[in-house]
Amino acid sequence: MTDPALRVENIRKSFGDHEVLKGISMTAEKGDVVAILGASGSGKSTFLRCINLLETPTDGTVWLKGEEMRMTSHRGERRPVDHRQVERMRSKLAMVFQGFNLWSHMTVMENIIEGPVHVLGTPRREARDKAAALLAKVGLSDRAEYYPAHLSGGQQQRVAIARALAMEPDVMLFDEPTSALDPELVGEVLAVMRALADEGRTMLVVTHEMAFARDVSSKTVFLNKGEICEQGAPADLFRNPQTEQFQAFLSRMN
Amino acid sequence: MDLLLEYREQLLAGLVTTVQLALASLVLSVTMGLLGAWAKLSASRAANAVAGAYTTVVRGVPDLVLIMLVFFGGQVTVNRIGAATGLWNYVEISQFAAGALTIGIIFGAYFTETFRGAILAIPRGQIEAGISTGMSGPLLFRRIIWPQMVRYALPGFGNNWLVQLKTTALVSVIGLQDLVYNAFAAGRSTGALFTFMAAAFVIYLALTAVSDLGLRALERRYSRGVARA
Amino acid sequence: MENLLSWFPLDLALIAENFDRFLYGVGVTLGLTFLSLALGGAMAVPLAVVRASCHRVLNPVVWVYTYVFRGTPLLVQTYLLYYGAGQFEFVRNSWLWDPVLSQAWWCALIAFTLNTGAYTTELLRGAIADTPKGEVEAAIATGISKRGRLSRIVLPSAFRRAIPAYSNEVIFMLHGSVVASTITLQDILGVGRWLNGRYYLAYEGLITAAVLYFIIVFAITRVFRWLERRYLRHLNRRREPIARNIAPPMGVK
Repeated sequence: MTDPALRVENIRKSFGDHEVLKGISMTAEKGDVVAILGASGSGKSTFLRCINLLETPTDGTVWLKGEEMRMTSHRGERRPVDHRQVERMRSKLAMVFQGFNLWSHMTVMENIIEGPVHVLGTPRREARDKAAALLAKVGLSDRAEYYPAHLSGGQQQRVAIARALAMEPDVMLFDEPTSALDPELVGEVLAVMRALADEGRTMLVVTHEMAFARDVSSKTVFLNKGEICEQGAPADLFRNPQTEQFQAFLSRMN
Repeated sequence: MDLLLEYREQLLAGLVTTVQLALASLVLSVTMGLLGAWAKLSASRAANAVAGAYTTVVRGVPDLVLIMLVFFGGQVTVNRIGAATGLWNYVEISQFAAGALTIGIIFGAYFTETFRGAILAIPRGQIEAGISTGMSGPLLFRRIIWPQMVRYALPGFGNNWLVQLKTTALVSVIGLQDLVYNAFAAGRSTGALFTFMAAAFVIYLALTAVSDLGLRALERRYSRGVARA
Repeated sequence: MENLLSWFPLDLALIAENFDRFLYGVGVTLGLTFLSLALGGAMAVPLAVVRASCHRVLNPVVWVYTYVFRGTPLLVQTYLLYYGAGQFEFVRNSWLWDPVLSQAWWCALIAFTLNTGAYTTELLRGAIADTPKGEVEAAIATGISKRGRLSRIVLPSAFRRAIPAYSNEVIFMLHGSVVASTITLQDILGVGRWLNGRYYLAYEGLITAAVLYFIIVFAITRVFRWLERRYLRHLNRRREPIARNIAPPMGVK
């Protein structure tokens, strides 16, 4: 049996006395699209950020294609054993942020080739060719030399997706990718994400877009107060919510 | 240390002159700054141009050059005018007057920008709200514009003051017996220039540090009700 | 023409006659200003990185340096070095005395460098602190190393953001360089004072100096306007062109 694309075991995170994540475990097989739902404050974004160590989890383990991200404790503080390993694994765990987070002093093209050239060591020419293909894929071929500030939010988010794809990631993490967008711009970003799902990309998507979760995800997870409250195939989950909390959440969202 | 104690009166006299000079020029520059901000924001083209030229010249020419021009050149000019018109006899411009005048005018340009920025920073809507409440011009200025302007201008004001205070040291070059001049003179006559210049250094540092702390306290006071960035 | 010249209140012929001296003064002023800016700037980059970090020992040490040098007049700093150093016998006997510490030019350069280094450090620290947090997170998530984040994301964007404030620092360093004339150097103001003293004049030397400084400031402003257009076009177009803030960046804050 091959290792799953991503496995996390017992992820916990506390900020001071407040425990935001109370031990979350999940597995994503290659090609899975996992939609992570939850009210604000349920810890879903923190969970995503613990996977690539933007937040250091208080406890728990992450495996990427069977490779464990090794952690150690130093004077009561958990930290990675080898920051090179972390950097290498992060490069395979591309993230798309709610606020796009494009590097504002670089053009669209420079944003996309930055990681491949400087982290993966891809020759610049090759990286540019690939970036051009990715821009075509997200429908922004004519914007390669623009600076992010001169693009709309939806365009910026599509560039951010192209930037993530350029790393040829094993798993893509989406942190509420459409929440900062004007309603009329949400569709263009979701369309790109849908296409990625159809290609068989492994994706973890924290979202408020119920339709996306229901129609696109292969697995839906509902987080409540830092714990997995319900999970399963979206068709079952949305048709028969098992818990009161999920029922309440669904009725609020509709 | 003994040397410093021996000359403490000279140092103290210099310190007093420095502080007086800084305060005198501050009063002038705040006045100039308010006038300049008014001119820059006014609808009059001529006022805009004059204020623009004022800030450009000040930015373009170093302080000490202007101080010397006013002190040496101003003296001659004033007396030539006096001689030509017969209105006054020989007048001597003191170093203090030349210094306070020039530094006041120079920093007036910086205060112009500070006040202009502060007035522009007041949300238009609040002024419109005042107008629609039926406030008259002066009332609007006193109750709405001024209190907010003070708040927005404070950081720039503090910055200008600290620079202004340090700039007064330059007036020692034309012979004003301020802190630098007196410390230098004492150092020269005792052969302990390092000791005395170091003393001046520390005193200036104390002046700016105290000002800095005071200004921070003021800023805290005036930024009540404003979310911190 | 003759009439016009004689009516003009300044002795232009005398200025023209001594113009080569003024050009020499321009050389001294520009040399001291830009050398100290280059050295102080080079020094400021690592110091600003330290100031933006939370290093428990180095950060306070650098803070003390910048606070002290921004809290005292450049004139006093220069006097302290030039006149003060000679008070100590061990300094006078050291190998540095003859070639450096007894030389007005070197003392001016050292004092100016330390001074502009302090201001530039704080200015850059501010620009580094203003780096959007999300951009750094994006770099972390891409797997860029700490070093790469600093050299490829944080500093390039901080340098650009610092351009408007740095243009002020350059102009104020030029203004500050007149201190050189108070320790015997023949910079622009030094030559102007010499001319006035030599011919018992009230205006000529100082006005020529003022005009020369004005031209240099104008040129510097132009260069920075070009730099801003080139390097800040990635920012959102704003209503006003990049803040033409003339407030001096020399305060202690």
